[in-house]
Amino acid sequence: MSLFRSEDMALCQLFLQSEAAYSCVSELGELGLLQFRDLNPDVNAFQRKFVNEVRRCDEMERKLRYLEKEIRKDGIPMLDTGENPEAPQPREMIDLEATFEKLENELREVNQNAEALKRNYLELTELKHILRKTQVFFDEQEGGSSATESMTRALIPDDSIARQAAGPVQLGFVAGVILRERIPPFERMLWRACRGNVFLRQAEIETPLEDPATSDQVHKSVFIIFFQGDQLKSRVKKICEGFRATLYPCPEAPSDRREMAMGVMTRIEDLNTVLNQTQDHRHRVLAAAAKNITNWFIKVRKIKAIYHTLNLFNLDVTQKCLIAECWVPTEDLEQIQLALRRGTERSGSSVPPILNRMDTLENPPTYNKTNKFTSGFQHLVDAYGVASYREANPAPYTIITFPFLFAVMFGDLGHGILMASFAAYLVIKERTLGAKKIQSDVWNIFFGGRYIILLMGLFSMYTGMMYNDVFSKSLNIFGSNWRNNYDESTLMNSKALQLDPNSTAYFKYPYPFGLDPIWQVAENKIIFLNSYKMKISIIFGVFHMLFGVLLSLWNHVYFRDRLAIMCEFIPQIIFMCFLFLYMVLLMFIKWVNYSADTIDVKAGPYCAPSILITFINMVLFKSSKNPDVCDDWMYAGQGFLQKLLVVIALLCVPVMLLAKPIMIMRARKQHQPVLNIFLSPKLKSLIII
Amino acid sequence: MLGSFFNIDGGYLEGLCRGFKCGILKQADYLNLVQCETLEDLKLHLQGTDYGNFLANEPSPLAVSVIDDKLREKLVIEFQHMRNHAVEPLSTFLDFITYSYMIDNIILLITGTLHQRPISELIPKCHPLGSFEQMEAIHVAATPAELYNAVLVDTPLAPFFVDCISEQDLDEMNIEIIRNTLYKAYLEAFFAFCKDLGGTTAESMCEILAFEADRRAIIITINSFGTELTKDDRVKLYPKVGKLYPDGLAALARADDYEQVKAVAEYYAEYRALFEGAGNNPGEKTLEDKFFEHEVRLNVNAFLQQFHFGVFYSYLKLKEQECRNVVWIAECVAQKHRTKIDNYIPIF
Repeated sequence: MSLFRSEDMALCQLFLQSEAAYSCVSELGELGLLQFRDLNPDVNAFQRKFVNEVRRCDEMERKLRYLEKEIRKDGIPMLDTGENPEAPQPREMIDLEATFEKLENELREVNQNAEALKRNYLELTELKHILRKTQVFFDEQEGGSSATESMTRALIPDDSIARQAAGPVQLGFVAGVILRERIPPFERMLWRACRGNVFLRQAEIETPLEDPATSDQVHKSVFIIFFQGDQLKSRVKKICEGFRATLYPCPEAPSDRREMAMGVMTRIEDLNTVLNQTQDHRHRVLAAAAKNITNWFIKVRKIKAIYHTLNLFNLDVTQKCLIAECWVPTEDLEQIQLALRRGTERSGSSVPPILNRMDTLENPPTYNKTNKFTSGFQHLVDAYGVASYREANPAPYTIITFPFLFAVMFGDLGHGILMASFAAYLVIKERTLGAKKIQSDVWNIFFGGRYIILLMGLFSMYTGMMYNDVFSKSLNIFGSNWRNNYDESTLMNSKALQLDPNSTAYFKYPYPFGLDPIWQVAENKIIFLNSYKMKISIIFGVFHMLFGVLLSLWNHVYFRDRLAIMCEFIPQIIFMCFLFLYMVLLMFIKWVNYSADTIDVKAGPYCAPSILITFINMVLFKSSKNPDVCDDWMYAGQGFLQKLLVVIALLCVPVMLLAKPIMIMRARKQHQPVLNIFLSPKLKSLIII
Repeated sequence: MLGSFFNIDGGYLEGLCRGFKCGILKQADYLNLVQCETLEDLKLHLQGTDYGNFLANEPSPLAVSVIDDKLREKLVIEFQHMRNHAVEPLSTFLDFITYSYMIDNIILLITGTLHQRPISELIPKCHPLGSFEQMEAIHVAATPAELYNAVLVDTPLAPFFVDCISEQDLDEMNIEIIRNTLYKAYLEAFFAFCKDLGGTTAESMCEILAFEADRRAIIITINSFGTELTKDDRVKLYPKVGKLYPDGLAALARADDYEQVKAVAEYYAEYRALFEGAGNNPGEKTLEDKFFEHEVRLNVNAFLQQFHFGVFYSYLKLKEQECRNVVWIAECVAQKHRTKIDNYIPIF
């Protein structure tokens, strides 16, 4: 029965020995069959009994996250064997903590060293770049000064002689490195603060440098500022500091610079070897951690989950045992007892745990057992609304109806094959793909619904064959049952010709399977197919809805809800049958009674009525206007019967809307509690689908 | 109709802001927080609120300063997210909000350099909402004129600073004067901007800004007693947008002691109530707390109306108050000084 309804649930009380509680909950957690109730809702999160353990787990998780981040930074693959380690015993927690502590400290130390080294390295590389770039500036300066000299001499010769006697003006300078994006404001600020009395030259460092703190790649520029006097010097230095530029000593004499550059180069090389060794060490530590980290994560999370669960429990007065309340599927009670016994054995406790069934008036939770095939469909149904406890579960029917109705719309053999093969790939590879734990939302939708997609694809292939559609083209397997009976001159001279089924053009028996391929070339393909597919869809839709309403009857009978049967089910079914089932009936009458190969005009194609117009007229109480040669009605007494059906169907509307509330109101006034009204059916989901 | 036009540009952000607002701690949360024995308890409880795992990556033991930083970081991220999605005129409005933090940062840096503190020590203390490019180079300036010419002229604060250039040099007193003059100019500009926006924004924001202006005027007056600030100089610092303007400000200008300030407030119903319960004795709330309470009330009221920008300002202010509350409680818990732990200001 459990396939069609949610599981039978029981509220149970669980008495656990304090020392056995941990391993029992661990075993129960592996089962995943219980829903624990919070027995101390008024207690703060931080005042619960096992809050310290939870906190220790938090701390362990933090360390693991740190490790994980570092592992990712180095791009070391994390080993995921897909194994599911058991929750470790509480005493093992200390070992784990110690391991993580050691790893974290080691890593932090290594990182610190590496950062210091990298900083050193960065400084040296910057200095190297400064020495190289400033060479150009100094060269220009010397060349440039002679140019200005010649210019000044030409303009004001007396002065220039005087200045020459005093020697060239002694210019001070600072050189440094700054982030490239800060250059413009830096330059502006220098200009403003020093009133234009400084001269800034800058050159970009082509290769990006690594920021030691964040290990990001940053672009920087070398700059050199020339100025005059000490006051300006201190001001320039302050601005440099403000813009986080790093200043480096830069000797003025070219020979000194060359010497310094040599020194820097050797030091960079030395540093490189040390840096590589540090990196190797770090890599070794991380690689060792990467092997275990997924395992550790699972373990820590399991411990944390167990303590979280234990926090929901009540402590009894003697402090010797923990009391829990949980919802349990009655079918699985035995399994749970077994798990409890295993837990007790593992903990070495002698007193067995006690599982008591309790009587309750509360509405139990809905629990539908699923497997990997049905879970997708169950999720689909739950998205529309979760059925209440013990209500009929529409998911089993959805397994067929949903893909089928999809295929009615999708219907194409080619596209269906593509879809089915994609889903089949997912299904076949589900083990390896599932182990990858891909986080992308879109992927998870497809992967979670792989069985739905597979069935949708298969059904689409079937309907595609029925529609004779392969990538919107037809297959001509059995040979069309129509042929051309016009001669060549007629064919050549007319734009469109009709094939009359009542002639030699048609073989008098239909194409063996699905739609005749001749329709692919017909001019009126769309007109024919639309009305054909629409009729089929209506027939399927009406039967689908009728089925849904019948399911609700099953529900009402199960809950012995007579009121709902009388005031909901019966008017619903009358309304459905009298309007829509009748329309379906009309279609069949039309298909049976009218045909092309008859000599009787009244049963021929000329007089065949449009069902759509007939139905509209029926609801509007109008009689159809047919040509004189035809009958007004499809059968005798149709006009009267239709009026009767519409009137009765319309009378059902107020009954559906008002009858049940009024009955409940009356019942309440008489102080008779109507209990079962709250169990309203949620089968609408099936109808919507 | 007005609402639908508002929603074209501001609908998403207003919704976002109201969503953020729902995460503000409730009275029940505070009742739980004050029961905390250690900062770890505090962290555990905050994990159950909208703050989520904001402290999860901090190693134990926690320090109050870490909590403070993280609280602020979260707020700043939220605000900057909204700022990045905003278009005119909301973007200008949000920028206006940040100007007040810029003023605070500038003053902080100048005072710091005046006391010979290295700039690298001061920068982390600056509010991230008020940081700007040239901020760290502020110590090149020795006089207000230099400050303006070298640093502030590129920032949006430049128009507010015009009144301060005349000051001679940067000493303690002048810095305070600069701060208040800047703030006065800023408040007046913000007020005018909100008035220009019109509609519900003007209604709700002008109310809040008017209170802000009046609070500054009253606090300046009270703090000026016993200092060398002359009455004439004092008048220049009053923002002229509040409810006290013009009569109340004129009366404040003449005040010589606390009682006289109180007498001025007597004429204004809402301020009288604030002065009445205030005092420095144990069991009484300080005037400052009373002002905060009133500010919270005004900001909460801003959420009662829809289709206006006031909610952004109010959200920021409420959240700041919440940060102050949490830090206060954390401080009390950390120092085991529980007698005053209830002195936080509940928001909802």
